[in-house]
Amino acid sequence: MSSLEIKNIDKFYGATQALFDVSLNIEMGEFVTLLGPSGSGKTTLLKILAGFEPVSSGTILMNGRDISLLSPEKRNFGLVFQGYALFPHMTVHENIAYPLKVRRVAKDEIDERVTAILDLVQLGKFAGRYPAELSGGQQQRVALARALVFKPDLLLLDEPMSALDKKLRVDLQEELRDIHRTLGTTFINVTHDQEEAMHMSDRIAVMNHGRIAQFDTAFNLYRHPDTRFVADFVGKSNILDGEVVQEGDTAMFRAKGVAVPLPEAPTMLEAELMIRPEDGTVEVEAANDGRIYLPGKVLSSTYSGDRALYSLAMDMGENFIVYGSARSGIHGDGARVLMGFAPGDCTLLRKLNG
Amino acid sequence: MSRAIYWISLVLSMLFLALPLLLVLPLAFNESSFLTYPMEGFTLDWFKIAFTQPPWMPAFLNSLKVAFGAAVVAVVIGGLAAMGTMLSGRFGQIILSGLFISPIVIPSVVLGVAFTYAFGRAGFGGGYISLVLAHAILGAPLVFLSVMTSLKGLDPELERAAASMGASRAYRFRTVTLPLAAPGFMTGALFAFVTSFDEVVVALFLAAPQSTTLPIALFSGLRDRLEPTIIAVALMLSLLSLMFLLVLNWLQQRSRYKTRGK
Ligand SMILES: Nc1ncnc2c1ncn2[C@@H]1O[C@H](COP(=O)(O)OP(=O)(O)OP(=O)(O)O)[C@@H](O)[C@H]1O
Ligand SMILES: [Mg+2]
Repeated sequence: MSSLEIKNIDKFYGATQALFDVSLNIEMGEFVTLLGPSGSGKTTLLKILAGFEPVSSGTILMNGRDISLLSPEKRNFGLVFQGYALFPHMTVHENIAYPLKVRRVAKDEIDERVTAILDLVQLGKFAGRYPAELSGGQQQRVALARALVFKPDLLLLDEPMSALDKKLRVDLQEELRDIHRTLGTTFINVTHDQEEAMHMSDRIAVMNHGRIAQFDTAFNLYRHPDTRFVADFVGKSNILDGEVVQEGDTAMFRAKGVAVPLPEAPTMLEAELMIRPEDGTVEVEAANDGRIYLPGKVLSSTYSGDRALYSLAMDMGENFIVYGSARSGIHGDGARVLMGFAPGDCTLLRKLNG
Repeated sequence: MSRAIYWISLVLSMLFLALPLLLVLPLAFNESSFLTYPMEGFTLDWFKIAFTQPPWMPAFLNSLKVAFGAAVVAVVIGGLAAMGTMLSGRFGQIILSGLFISPIVIPSVVLGVAFTYAFGRAGFGGGYISLVLAHAILGAPLVFLSVMTSLKGLDPELERAAASMGASRAYRFRTVTLPLAAPGFMTGALFAFVTSFDEVVVALFLAAPQSTTLPIALFSGLRDRLEPTIIAVALMLSLLSLMFLLVLNWLQQRSRYKTRGK
């Protein structure tokens, strides 16, 4: 099985370091997304993979071969730019034929392959138009077709959806997934939209300050984030800062006003506990069912038909967000409530130094 | 209020620019051979003279030849200079740009003297070649500037996109950079052509009787025998310039249309 191995990459721009010891192993045919806040190094990593920026140290292995010194035109990677970078003086057909002409493919075959890929991105009728005569979504699909038509070993996408409106973005996400399934090419996508990342990717590399914070499936990132950063960045969460203490047989997480028994004894002493908004409930009175109930009052609520998202001011001093049932009414602002959760639904986070 | 200011300033500036021309142009159709008002009837004779009698037609053809040659040479020199400058580093760009633009800032009298001396020494003073070369040197900075502008306006991602698709540097240049910078070359060529076409000072230094250009013929006409033919020629030249202006405008429109959609 072929694969892309990114090994211990550091990248300096002059004195500032943009990437710190980045390593990723990407399997053939995977859809991987680089997700992170602005300035976290996503574009830098993508440029390095594409060959537009040299690495400062580290290697990139494609099927075991070191490609870190190869120039972009020798890598055979497709690239979709944030601004699409379509050639304005060429028609859609000429744009897509470009990489094939570079490879001296015969004219008949060029026409055949361009037509086929245009069908795949549903732009068959637009072959004769110039990019300026297309909508943003159509331009984006031309860029995609052009980057795929020469059967690249890897497709790199730098925030391909960021210029499009929400609705179109969702449609194109769907389409991109389908295309990925059809072609089986390895995709590496960059975004800072966590929903987009979760919808499309097999695995997501969350980046922060030039480091890979966690590289895992969307499910694991959401349910089992390693750090507070990942927990905060992927989805909404409530996080308690506390410590782990051993009490008799059980390990307990203790923060101000809360004690949560832990299923297994962790190795760390200082820790953070994450409770996702959907892991809690909003109740009027506590039941004796092994769950933990914390008192507080409603700050505000957002009703969305199927449920309500409450913002609660807990008596212990924290503010929590919790989903509550809205079947039999909504608790008004200022109402005294209990937030209930099961200890088993919480996730203990590793605390980074500093 | 602001509309009034708009119209007043518009009319005033138009008058300032166009009044001298408008005052003098009707005299091209005046039957009298003196350049004075009131006009004494309508005639096209002066145009006929301009087309049939020397020095007008030969001078016009000379000017065309010189301007065409100068434009071609200027495009080659200025275009290459711009492309080379674009490929050099930041510091190099500043120095090179300064050097290539310098012919614009140096007074043409100084250049005229320098050209006369240099070309005379080199043994081809006074001919077409010296005029073409001198005018090419005057036109090259204009080509340089307009090509630089259009190269700088190119989205650098286009080149990267081409590279990612496997195109070599030379292929990228030929298929992406050059076609997109073409309007810059055209604009530059037109500017160089027009500059040469109405250049007087350097031409005065360099032109021999057989290579007299139209501006020189006009100039000496003004001095020697002041007659309405001069005005007729001037009128036709103005129309020609207007045409160039329209072509230029059209070129810019077209390039803007093509690179829209971003
Ligand atoms: N050419 C450059 N020269 C110097 N520093 C740079 C350069 N390019 C990027 N950087 C720095 O490297 C860091 C990472 O930038 P990068 O563009 O990779 O971020 P990003 O994750 O793509 O952010 P965004 O989501 O805003 O696109 C930033 O701190 C940035 O300032
Ligand atoms: Mg970026």
